[in-house]
Amino acid sequence: MDFRFTDEQEMLRDGVGKFLEKSYDFDTRQKLVRSDDPWSASAWEQFAEFGLLALPFSEERGGLGGSVTDCVAFAELFGKHLVVEPYASAILLAGAALAEADGDAAAAWLEKAMSGEAVVAFAYEEGRGTAARDLISMVATPSGDGFTLSGEKRLVHAGAEAAAIVVVARKGEGGPLGFFLVEAGTKGCDTRQYTTVDGRSAANIRFDGTPAEELVGAADAMDAILAKAVIVQCAEAVGAMGALVSITADYAMTRKQFGVPIATFQAVAHRLADMKIAYTKARATLIYTTALAESGQAGPRDLAILKGQTGKLGKAVGEAAIQTHGGVGMTDELSVSHYHKRLLACDAQFGDHSYHLRRVGQG
Amino acid sequence: MNIDFAPELEAFRAEVAEFFATAPTPAIREAGRKTTSVFAPFKECQEWHRILFEKGWVAPHWPEEYGGTGWSVEQRFIFAEEYRKADLPPLLPQSLGMVGPLLIDIGTQEQKERYLPGILNGDDFWAQGYSEPNSGSDLASLSCRAVPDGDDYIINGSKIWTTYAHHANRMFLLVRTSTEGKKQQGITFLLLDRVDYPGMEIRPIIGLDGCPEQCEVFFEDCRVPQSGRVGAENDGWSVAKHLLKHERGGGNAASPTLMRYCERARQAAAETLSPFGGTLADDPVFQRDMGELEADIASLAHFEKLAISGHEIANDPAFPSMNKTMNSELVQRASTMMAELSGVDGMARQLEALRVGSNVEPLGSEFDLISMPLYLNSRATTIYAGSNEVQRDLIARTVGS
Ligand SMILES: Cc1cc2nc3c(=O)[nH]c(=O)nc-3n(C[C@H](O)[C@H](O)[C@H](O)COP(=O)(O)OP(=O)(O)OC[C@H]3O[C@@H](n4cnc5c(N)ncnc54)[C@H](O)[C@@H]3O)c2cc1C
Repeated sequence: MDFRFTDEQEMLRDGVGKFLEKSYDFDTRQKLVRSDDPWSASAWEQFAEFGLLALPFSEERGGLGGSVTDCVAFAELFGKHLVVEPYASAILLAGAALAEADGDAAAAWLEKAMSGEAVVAFAYEEGRGTAARDLISMVATPSGDGFTLSGEKRLVHAGAEAAAIVVVARKGEGGPLGFFLVEAGTKGCDTRQYTTVDGRSAANIRFDGTPAEELVGAADAMDAILAKAVIVQCAEAVGAMGALVSITADYAMTRKQFGVPIATFQAVAHRLADMKIAYTKARATLIYTTALAESGQAGPRDLAILKGQTGKLGKAVGEAAIQTHGGVGMTDELSVSHYHKRLLACDAQFGDHSYHLRRVGQG
Repeated sequence: MNIDFAPELEAFRAEVAEFFATAPTPAIREAGRKTTSVFAPFKECQEWHRILFEKGWVAPHWPEEYGGTGWSVEQRFIFAEEYRKADLPPLLPQSLGMVGPLLIDIGTQEQKERYLPGILNGDDFWAQGYSEPNSGSDLASLSCRAVPDGDDYIINGSKIWTTYAHHANRMFLLVRTSTEGKKQQGITFLLLDRVDYPGMEIRPIIGLDGCPEQCEVFFEDCRVPQSGRVGAENDGWSVAKHLLKHERGGGNAASPTLMRYCERARQAAAETLSPFGGTLADDPVFQRDMGELEADIASLAHFEKLAISGHEIANDPAFPSMNKTMNSELVQRASTMMAELSGVDGMARQLEALRVGSNVEPLGSEFDLISMPLYLNSRATTIYAGSNEVQRDLIARTVGS
């Protein structure tokens, strides 16, 4: 057993970390979030240069053949810097579906996604209940040599900006789930763009008889695609938790009330201790589950443990960080509230902690 | 013991319900539904304040001679219940709940005559200037300085977290008038009859829910009249302690609001598919969570009813701190439940749709529109009015005595 990152992974972390320290400090990030740009084009370019956009894909597909551990290695840093670029949506989800599909169209879109030339979004959520895949109700109806989609998808990250969208829908009423490709500008798409509480660009998209093409062959890989995205999303959450623990500890050591640092009050000290325990626990589960996944042994229960624990512990850490900061923790100006909102967003997507912990309880 | 309300109270309940069904304007109703904080949207809240004033119902907890209603405790409870059922915006606490009762208790005759009418009819809105950047929990360490000069004080320093100061036309504050002796002994309580004195500046702070609610207030050689002093110079700490009773204990029962949150959550759960089959309302895990929350809220309601009926529970020295702790933590639990029910549908930042009178359609239901801002905003309930850590210290001191 060895749960350390390899030298190459440490080098990748080092490079990505240095770049983010330099060009993605919190103030720069806040300027970006408040601007009209949905994310930073130059950061995306830089990610492409680091190879991150091509990293998870096999060499036959033109990728770099990276593992899930490679992604986890830098995703913790994405969490630490509250990166708003649509990496999960465009690369880990949509990109992965394209990589598994047959045909020239999929290959062409994947190439564009990997080079950073185009962003492809991923439309999965339908709001309430979609934590269970059974409840996905959007239907793709056969039509001519393709399909048409009808229904609404929610929280599609980069949905308004994407050049194409990979949509998860049922092949015919009550049929199996499949992936379908819709190019931007196709008729019958009503897109409402918004910014999420954690500063990312998303959209609700209503499809109304929208022509779509099936990504043949990709559906078999659905479990694997979602599993990997969930692990990487948990890595982001763990990165955010780590940042909160150190920011909060630093604050508590310097903030004085009653003539002493508040960290000397037992109520505060014990809360800091609990935050550290929560972070360490979540990180241990993250690293262990990543190793399981890399060796092909991570089952649904392992993933539910990871997602459930990260969601629950992340929320607890965020709430503790705000409470420890007192009034300043309640402001938009401080990073603390933004970390908490990212943790809330990570928890909510793909089923929140109560859903996943209950699945664990089902045995 | 007797649990029953007199039968004539049913007529009173009907009268209150009828008024609440007819008097509020649509904008006031909208503000009530879109209240995502203990502080309701300002403009509509003040309009509603005026309507209640004209009806004579704005200050049920005040003595009758000062404009109170003279209602029995049961009537006051019924009023609070009907108020919440109608989803009306809660009135802002600083004026009617804090400075008003303070002046009634210990203001001079002149201060009462000058200020109580505006507090009652809603012409005036008072901001509370206690906290400073370096003085939060340890309020006695405050350093905003007031130096006597003729009939005036000259103030230098700053205040922070002053809720709705950007809407206020008056302000009460604590200032340091002496640095001798114990910290508590050099503080003075001042009323400012306006907030646009030369040398005074108010800057809103954006909160984590994206809305400006608190403010910073800066004083630079700001000259204000000494006639605004309540109590003696350097005796402001005891004045503030007196006011605190009103702030933490409060004449207002919190349980009706909390029950309303639970009703909304139940309704949302009934409309939400459970990933485990049926709707969430049928889900045993939801039922257990909801049960725990509602049972705790019920206990708070029992505690509040005992207290307003004059039971000795309210004479417990820890009463205000226990009340504040229970109430604030339940607000957080209820709003957490709401935000979790919204799930991904609560993730959109919809500041425009949240504004009263907005013509921007919310992306989803009204429940989803308010659940996340309410959850985020309620993180503050365990911080303000004395953080819950500080409250627990106070409660602990009374255990075993
Ligand atoms: C939404 C909101 C509205 C507010 N409205 C007003 C207003 O209108 N007017 C006004 O004057 N103020 C207002 N306040 C300020 C509020 O009263 C202070 O935030 C509060 O007193 C805490 O002070 P602080 O923020 O400086 O935190 P700090 O005192 O720095 O506390 C930070 C952390 O340390 C803990 N801590 C501090 N001392 C101890 C101790 N002895 N033992 C254990 N733990 C301790 C606290 O519990 C907290 O978790 C408001 C605050 C908020 C968040």
